Amino acid sequence: MKKHIYLLAAFLGLGVSFAHAQIQKGSVLIKNATVLTVTKGKLESSDVLVQNGVITQIGKNLTTPAGVTAIDATGKYVMPGIIDAHSHVGLDVVNEGSAPITAEIRMKDVVNPYEIGIYRALAGGVTVSHAMHGSSNVIGGQNATLKHRWGSNDPADIIMQDAPRTIKFALGENPTRNHGRRNGIQPRSRMGVEAVIRNGFNEAIQYKKGWEKYNLAKAQKGNTISPPAYNERLQTLVDILDGKIIIHCHSYRADEIYMLINVVKDFNIKKLVFQHTNEGFKVAPEIAEYTMGASVFADWWAYKMEVYYSTAYNAAILQKNGAITSINSDSAELIRHLYHEAAKTQRYGGLTDQEALAMITINPAKQLGIEDKVGSIEVGKQADLVIFEGHPLSSYAIPQMTFVDGVKYFDRKADREDQRQLVAATEMVEPIFLRTNEEAYRCMQDVDEYFEAFQGAFIKEKH
Amino acid sequence: MNKQFLKAGMLGLLVAGWLSQAAWAQSDPTGKRRITSTYAITNATVFKAPGDPGSKATILIKDGVILGVGNSLSLPKEAKIIAGDSLYVYAGFIDGAGTMGITKFKDVERPKDFVSSNPPDKIAGITPWRSAADAYAAVSTQVDDWRKAGFTLSQVVPDGGMLPGKTALVLLGDGKTNNFLKLNASLAANYRSSRSMYPATLVGVMAKFRDIYQNTSLVLEHERLFASTVGVRRPQATPTQLAMMQVVQKQLPVLFTARSELEIRRALALQKELGFKLILTGLENYESVIGTIKSSGTPVLIKLQVPDDKSIKAQKVEGVTESTKAQYTRVKESYDKALKQAAQLEKAGILFGFSTADAKAADVQKTLKAMIDNGLSQKAALAALTTNPAAILGVSGLAGTLEKGKLANLVLTTDTLFKEESQIKHVIADGYVFDYEIKKKAVKAETISTKPESAPNAITVEGLWEYTSETPAGSSGGEITLKRENGALAGSITYDDPTGSGKASAPIKNANLVVKTLSFEFDVAAGGMSLTVTISGEINGKTMEGTLSIPQMGFTVPLKAKLSSPSQAN
Repeated sequence: MKKHIYLLAAFLGLGVSFAHAQIQKGSVLIKNATVLTVTKGKLESSDVLVQNGVITQIGKNLTTPAGVTAIDATGKYVMPGIIDAHSHVGLDVVNEGSAPITAEIRMKDVVNPYEIGIYRALAGGVTVSHAMHGSSNVIGGQNATLKHRWGSNDPADIIMQDAPRTIKFALGENPTRNHGRRNGIQPRSRMGVEAVIRNGFNEAIQYKKGWEKYNLAKAQKGNTISPPAYNERLQTLVDILDGKIIIHCHSYRADEIYMLINVVKDFNIKKLVFQHTNEGFKVAPEIAEYTMGASVFADWWAYKMEVYYSTAYNAAILQKNGAITSINSDSAELIRHLYHEAAKTQRYGGLTDQEALAMITINPAKQLGIEDKVGSIEVGKQADLVIFEGHPLSSYAIPQMTFVDGVKYFDRKADREDQRQLVAATEMVEPIFLRTNEEAYRCMQDVDEYFEAFQGAFIKEKH
Repeated sequence: MNKQFLKAGMLGLLVAGWLSQAAWAQSDPTGKRRITSTYAITNATVFKAPGDPGSKATILIKDGVILGVGNSLSLPKEAKIIAGDSLYVYAGFIDGAGTMGITKFKDVERPKDFVSSNPPDKIAGITPWRSAADAYAAVSTQVDDWRKAGFTLSQVVPDGGMLPGKTALVLLGDGKTNNFLKLNASLAANYRSSRSMYPATLVGVMAKFRDIYQNTSLVLEHERLFASTVGVRRPQATPTQLAMMQVVQKQLPVLFTARSELEIRRALALQKELGFKLILTGLENYESVIGTIKSSGTPVLIKLQVPDDKSIKAQKVEGVTESTKAQYTRVKESYDKALKQAAQLEKAGILFGFSTADAKAADVQKTLKAMIDNGLSQKAALAALTTNPAAILGVSGLAGTLEKGKLANLVLTTDTLFKEESQIKHVIADGYVFDYEIKKKAVKAETISTKPESAPNAITVEGLWEYTSETPAGSSGGEITLKRENGALAGSITYDDPTGSGKASAPIKNANLVVKTLSFEFDVAAGGMSLTVTISGEINGKTMEGTLSIPQMGFTVPLKAKLSSPSQAN
């Protein structure tokens, strides 16, 4: 089929140049499903029509327009594509752990569309992930919001270009261990973390003033003011102050969460989301009032000292207090069954189906600033959809098909044994062993290597 | 230490040079000085440039310059004659980017107040002011090896961090002279991070590159303001910024090492964002980015090495599961794809040469053969060794072809260049002649015994051929039926119907068989217009390899065919 289109195009002279792959948009009619819209309730025996990547109609007994494939989903469930607000899938580098502030770092530079984790996420119904910088620095790099268009060669094609900018912050043990204890520089304590943030923003204010002064003077005749140095690190902090970037802050303890709320209030920053937020339940009203909420684990804790005081009721408590709450994976494994993670809020907190599903759809969409585009099944939204066998919150749920922009990127029935996009010409084929959970937690990836290298150089230097 | 040694060495060379000049009229007690710098290669088969079919001529060179190429040159008495009657002469090969003869600069000592989050440039691998010339040793086994493989000119790249320094063009001539053709040829760049300090990773390197570039632009702006206005603060460019200015002013290209598809895309993205002149080098896997490279107009230097076939050879035939076999197939596909890449560059019309960095000199012939066997034309292969790198390095007026006035860089072979039995007998670099031993190869028994049925001119074309053509969207194919009617070839072809599904058929016209090359045309009606499709290919036994093209649209894709049921010979 595809080659005929190609040949036709070639014969007609429409596109002999295939250099610029366009982002694919699909059309499909999903018929007779139980549609879990998340924002507009549950619709029994209903159809969802997608045309050119957008949901154009939701209703009963829709007619199939010419050229649109119809899928019979009788007895199945359709829900919005799952959104993971904390992931490191599809990144070649996670941490630039060499400085306490690295706001100039752009994760979009290191997006890898070939990473198999993207396909595995699709198999778990995840269509959008927030590919974040790690937590080694107080102010880390700028994150990338990805759309899981599996099969793309160009990283730009899997970056959600219409998503707003976001940046990673990190409090507590990770940055203090990385910079303070290992490297002997600020921050060595939670107080130091606060100081790094405040100093950073104050410096950014000075930086902004310097440029404003220069830009005003530059146009004047006989101007003698020379251009200030360019500093993308400070410029990014200026953009945060100007409300152009959403902060996503790695945090655990209530005291540090409340600290950052005070800091952003002092600098009049409005766009803040807390990540992990294990003690969020202690400061839930404050989070609800001052921030864009918290993105938490369903039940993951006690992997280090600052995560001991935790509860599986965290998400439900935050939700009941009115905080926008999402459940995230931070893991290439958990990302494959976020619908199970969301269901845990029903066991621990008794949330309704709609509230639980919102934790992995519209709520993370709000925290990423993309709720007008994705996160629910509504006319006019981008057609990121998942068809489930069984209710997605059931223990027996199995995703069947996953669509991004109306294009099917996962089909359980067409799932090949080897889904890799790239195979090295020199690969020695060896027996495959199941790996342990070593890659599950990537927040500190690349940091150990950095310190091994650092210590190596340090020892050498002494001699 | 190293640098001092080099300096001393250079001084020594200068003195030695002066002494030898002064002693010109005296005797030469070492007996090593050459008798003459004038040479004539007489009556050789000369290929002046890629595509030249070759013709008998004499080449006269003197003091490293070609004085003439022709049949009526008068040869001076001092010309040493190299009898070229049985030799084939090509322009000396040019290495687009390499590391032959390059040693690493000594690590700079860390200052007492060193902070890994903000290290000085020189420690963090940012040394754009350095020159490869300061780290180059003309006398080295690597230089000998590459010269032996036919290389006469190289752009040598300094070793170091993300911005190790400037490259230099060197001639692989006599090691005792100054071999530099051009210093400051381009700025070397790569993704090498400092690991133990900022920038510690690939993502940090990209951010740091932008930072250096933008701040150099601002310093230039500051300098302009300072020059035009009184009372402006004195500009204080750092050594890094001073060394980056020509790059920002687009006078000097960035030679970016990018091996894989993603690395190539990242370099192209940086180029698009900042606007510098770019040459990509060291390309290994680039099949999926060829279109992007083409539209960016960036010249490329591909690694002069194809992947080794160890993994292919290690594939077992017995005792493996179906899923292992499936994996074998994927590796084999990747391997085949890798070998075809160079041919695809040629088809896309991208200016490309070779990089010898990380490649093996001994494998050059094997590598070129693999590329040619997989679709690269001999003309393009020779261009990639000569005229293309000359153009990319901006020395087309000096090197790349055999013409009067160009540098005396030549390769003399025992047969035409890409023949398997061809060997390099002499390399002339910078006018210095290097002789190599010719190995006698055992003649294969097969070629001696002439079997009548495999006589080369007994080409079978009549019958039913099954063909497939590779389009970027997948393969497409059909059947070709050929028969002789009154001595002329005729028949029909089926193809994927462009207006829908299924096959369409058309009569064949203008069919021709010249030696082993079959060509014919057919008409296709599509979208209200009639297009003529040309198929041309070389027949080898029962297979044919060639191209399917639509000249009206400049469209060409590779084609393969198999004679599935030959007609009985009449």
